[in-house]
Amino acid sequence: MVLLDRNTVYLEVQEVETDAARIKDLRVTIGGIRGLAPAVPRGPMPMPGPGTLRRWDRKLLSRYRPFYMPFCELCCLCTFGKCDLSGGRKGACGITMNAQQSRIVLLACCIGAATHTAHAREILDHIVSRFGERHPLDTGGSQIDITAPITRLVCGFEPQTVGDLDRALRYAENQITQLLAATHTGQEGDYLDLESKVFHAGMVDHLGMEIADISQVSAYSFPRADADAPLVELGMASVDTKKPVILVVGHNVVPSVGILEYARENDLLGSIEVTGICCTSLDLTRYSEKAKIIGPISWQLRYIRSGIPSVVVVDEQCVRTDLPDECRAVRAPVIATSDKNALGLPDRTGDPADEIVEDLVSGRVTGVLLRDPDIVGEVAVKTANHVFEKRKGITAIPPGESVTASAGECTHCSFCQRACPAELPLVEVIREAGAGDTGALASLYDLCIGCGRCESACPRGLPLHSFIISASCERIRDEKFSIRSGRGAISDVEIREVGGPIVLGEIPGIVAFVGCSNFPRGGSELASMCREFARRRFIVCTSGCAAITAGQYRNDEGKTLYEEFSGKFEAGGVLNVGSCVSNAHISGAAIKIAAIFAKRELDGNYEEIADYVHNRVGAVGVAWGAMSQKAAAIASGFWRLGIPVIVGPHGSKYRRMLLGRADHPDDWKVNDARTGEEVCIGPVPEHLFVAAETAEEAMVLVAKLSMRPNDTTRGRSIKCTHYIDLHRRLYGTMPGDIHLFIRNPADVPLTFKDEIWAHLEAHGWKEQPVPDPTLLEPKGRRVKGGKPK
Amino acid sequence: MASDTFPVEVGLMFEGERIRRNDMQLELGGPKADAKWEIVRVRPAGDVVDGEIRVLGPDLDALAPGMSHPVGVLVEISGEKLEEDIEGVLERRIHEFLNYVEGFVHLNQRHEIWMRLSRRSFEKGLNSFRYLGQVLIRLFRDDLPIIEAMQVTWISDPDTVREMLDEAVSRYETRDARARGLLDEDVDTFYGCALCQSFAPTHVCVITPQRYANCGAISWFDGRAAAGIDPKGPIFGIAKGACLNEKTGEYEGINEIARKRSMGEVERVSLYSAFEFPHTSCGCFEGIAFYIPEVDGIAVVHRGFRGPAVNGIPFSTMADSTAGGRQVSGFHGISIEYMRSSRFLQADGGYGRVVWMPGEVLERVREYIPDGLADRIATEKDALSVGELKAFLEKTGHPVTGRWKPDSGREQDKDRKQEKTVLRLSELPIRAGGITLVLKNARITAERVIIERRPDDPRRRT
Repeated sequence: MVLLDRNTVYLEVQEVETDAARIKDLRVTIGGIRGLAPAVPRGPMPMPGPGTLRRWDRKLLSRYRPFYMPFCELCCLCTFGKCDLSGGRKGACGITMNAQQSRIVLLACCIGAATHTAHAREILDHIVSRFGERHPLDTGGSQIDITAPITRLVCGFEPQTVGDLDRALRYAENQITQLLAATHTGQEGDYLDLESKVFHAGMVDHLGMEIADISQVSAYSFPRADADAPLVELGMASVDTKKPVILVVGHNVVPSVGILEYARENDLLGSIEVTGICCTSLDLTRYSEKAKIIGPISWQLRYIRSGIPSVVVVDEQCVRTDLPDECRAVRAPVIATSDKNALGLPDRTGDPADEIVEDLVSGRVTGVLLRDPDIVGEVAVKTANHVFEKRKGITAIPPGESVTASAGECTHCSFCQRACPAELPLVEVIREAGAGDTGALASLYDLCIGCGRCESACPRGLPLHSFIISASCERIRDEKFSIRSGRGAISDVEIREVGGPIVLGEIPGIVAFVGCSNFPRGGSELASMCREFARRRFIVCTSGCAAITAGQYRNDEGKTLYEEFSGKFEAGGVLNVGSCVSNAHISGAAIKIAAIFAKRELDGNYEEIADYVHNRVGAVGVAWGAMSQKAAAIASGFWRLGIPVIVGPHGSKYRRMLLGRADHPDDWKVNDARTGEEVCIGPVPEHLFVAAETAEEAMVLVAKLSMRPNDTTRGRSIKCTHYIDLHRRLYGTMPGDIHLFIRNPADVPLTFKDEIWAHLEAHGWKEQPVPDPTLLEPKGRRVKGGKPK
Repeated sequence: MASDTFPVEVGLMFEGERIRRNDMQLELGGPKADAKWEIVRVRPAGDVVDGEIRVLGPDLDALAPGMSHPVGVLVEISGEKLEEDIEGVLERRIHEFLNYVEGFVHLNQRHEIWMRLSRRSFEKGLNSFRYLGQVLIRLFRDDLPIIEAMQVTWISDPDTVREMLDEAVSRYETRDARARGLLDEDVDTFYGCALCQSFAPTHVCVITPQRYANCGAISWFDGRAAAGIDPKGPIFGIAKGACLNEKTGEYEGINEIARKRSMGEVERVSLYSAFEFPHTSCGCFEGIAFYIPEVDGIAVVHRGFRGPAVNGIPFSTMADSTAGGRQVSGFHGISIEYMRSSRFLQADGGYGRVVWMPGEVLERVREYIPDGLADRIATEKDALSVGELKAFLEKTGHPVTGRWKPDSGREQDKDRKQEKTVLRLSELPIRAGGITLVLKNARITAERVIIERRPDDPRRRT
């Protein structure tokens, strides 16, 4: 019999016979054991249910109160409705406006968490069937001891193999079902309880992301915590159009890996181009440097219409639902590969590959559904090779002269302009194009998000998006950049290395640019924010479409961010962690800091670790062009760890913010674990979720929200310097609240001393202690033998 | 620092600036200039004219553009509490403060300095050394109130720079000799650093002349300067009190401060030992000294070493046993600089007990290892397993082999509790409850056991 608990192994052998010995009634007790993880989930709250962490959530929510901005004042989820909830009215089920808003947020986060978790399920099942459940997890070799920080934190056990992850994934699937059930009519009606469940959905989302990424990193030999992951090509102009081109769109890399594997096995890697849009392309470049990234989600229409892709393979998430129509227009066969995204195409899974290829090449079918990733590679490669010659010259982008002629047909009804989510001045530019000047059309290239809503609104059916692309062909010919392929996790060793620079005030904070980069100028703003903070020696992380977009802009020397800055987790590093699911490595790094520096128990100990992260780790997330439900779920996973998230102006459509009140001093109390006393720490970090109207506002917020109560004086002083400098440069004034962030004279930034002292005096400032901060009851570390002097 | 009269901005946000050769107005010092130096000197009160800036030689606007020029920077300060011992610490602030200037970068220190002025800032009006002098005086005086008077001299006349170089170098050497020769018994104050408490709440570093901070960033001199400048700051003086054990480096004052600052977690601290009551670590130590029971020796692995150390365990895993402000006998966080101290692991036998370290570390500390020992210490080239290590130590006649008993080939450290072996087998597989434990060449003792996975187990870690 073997018994394992937290620290001890009890071994009892009644009878054993080996070559060396025969043992009877042996009892061994071992005090410590290394290299073997106990199989039993451990910790104070392993695998928490939707209500387990309610107390922690309420602590956060009492400081960062939900501020609702109803995007829609009606509830139309059941047949009692529509119910008007405005003006304090209740719905037929009794629901209030606040509860309805948080209910919709919860629904969005459940969708997001379900998407990542289902994605993880597909990857994990495939990897287990292909590599075996005992395939070891490896995210960074000897540089990483904590392989699965989120799994350990949430589930309370340490997975060693991909098979071990199944249990964690089953837990995640179960939680999402329960959370979704809470949104049913006549279930949860208290808005704070709904918000607590939003946090829960976020936590589960990060678990799902971690499972997806660490299993694919382990199975496919992606870069493993590699700061020097290779630079790969990015942009439409990086494609060699003399070869057949395959486009993959979506997030699940498994079918796309099949394409590269088939090409490699048949020695075709050099004669085809495999290109991608969105996260699949990011993950594909982690698999092979030969793959190329075209751009983020908004590049779908322009690239397909260009006619360059010979075949389009789609998997799941953020794939345009009208993609088969677009492909049909340029006679590019479509292959759908996911049960979740079958696009109405005929299921040809069991058929011989050559038959499917023949049907696609002849045009008998315009697309197929292949539910087995293993045959996708052969069908896609063969089809691309066969249709390549036939498709030469096909494009849906009209030439310049035809744009001018078509634009002349415009009746200036302005339906397009009203349909445009960015309210671009389409009427005016079409008028100018009709008059022969397409310069104004081209000027919309950076503003257009490629949604195509203008076209479906046009009564004359003018392809307005294609007009913009046609007018911008010069610009597109220059779209050739380089991006560092996703490096995966942050190694334990890197985390140790930044401990010193952070406490010595050399690194002001960690800022993660995640999610999409949609919305006008979103791309250039995102890239300039990354560059600004890297130059200010923040650690800058990117992921998903934000990582792609950040690579689409060059500095004066012609270098992209990834060429200009190191890929290491260090001051001024710019790290592409990978695709959407790689976001788990960013929250995972914050979690590892607690386990590495303070040796806090990691397994099943969410509350204590979140309290540590919230009070000590100066990390901020920015989702500048966030649009999806997945982005909502990712953000909520950061909130539960107490990490603030900033969204762009469209983020207010997520319906509610989590705002702190700097003017309520009582909101900013913590317990000082050293003395057991309650101490005021000032509004740090001031908000948990906030929308910024402009990039300038966002940059000032990043500097401000990177402050934490535990900052050393050198650390606080450098954070204040950046906050003040950005505020002065972007707003032209000293920040009016700087007195709230100065705790003692050593916090005052050296180069702003005079102005700050004048400000402090004017605001009746008083010195405050720097505590050992916690929102929890200080326990376990209470002073032995009385209070210190 | 904003000023209507100052031509460019000054602030910490310019610290990471880079100036390419094509964008530079000129270069001061650097590899192409034959003489360059900077120095801070503490002078008697009357000898310093506060606020005075002198330029000996042509000013910035008279120096040939695009070229590298010899340069000297002499910062003279006075103040009641200033002492020569902290000159070196203050000198490094020249680097920090000059980098605050927009369009001006400063690299290295002492007689290896290398500065660049950007053309853009020059054109904005940063055309005189006087401005750089103003920045230094303003920032030094603002940040370090213990400086009561300060004057700065910029020397650009090549002959004068060369003439004064020897004087500067001899001062650096005197300073280094003092730093190297200073013993823990020579001082009555050690320094405690609680900076890392913001992440590791129960850890305090004790910094003595012969024991650098674990992070490798703070010397006793740094501690002395920091505590003098900001007595309420995170670096504070520790009256060392009575020495309780000279060999292990246990002091009354340290024990007291450790108890207080660690919230009672740590009762006693041995400065020079990896056993019993080792100095605690946060997470950012540069290396780990760890015990290898099979050879009764101590090995060192540093943060930069990739792959498993000689005991088969990588740095990242061992660091987990070392960090977090706890005392774990046999796992000891250290700085590389401490390895240059004659007190390095003194209580455990010093280098006579050190059996393995990565080659890179060995080269960095070689000249501080007692004669004849360096080549008997194995590196990753000599041994990557305990078996190979044992053979190497025997072959080279490492002193630690003298500790091995002829019969068992090893002996427990006398200072450690006697461990009683209850079982010794070459291999013992035990299957129960779906788990297979294979004990290979393991001794099972009452207190501790080493368990290895089957070599063919895919879950086996590196």
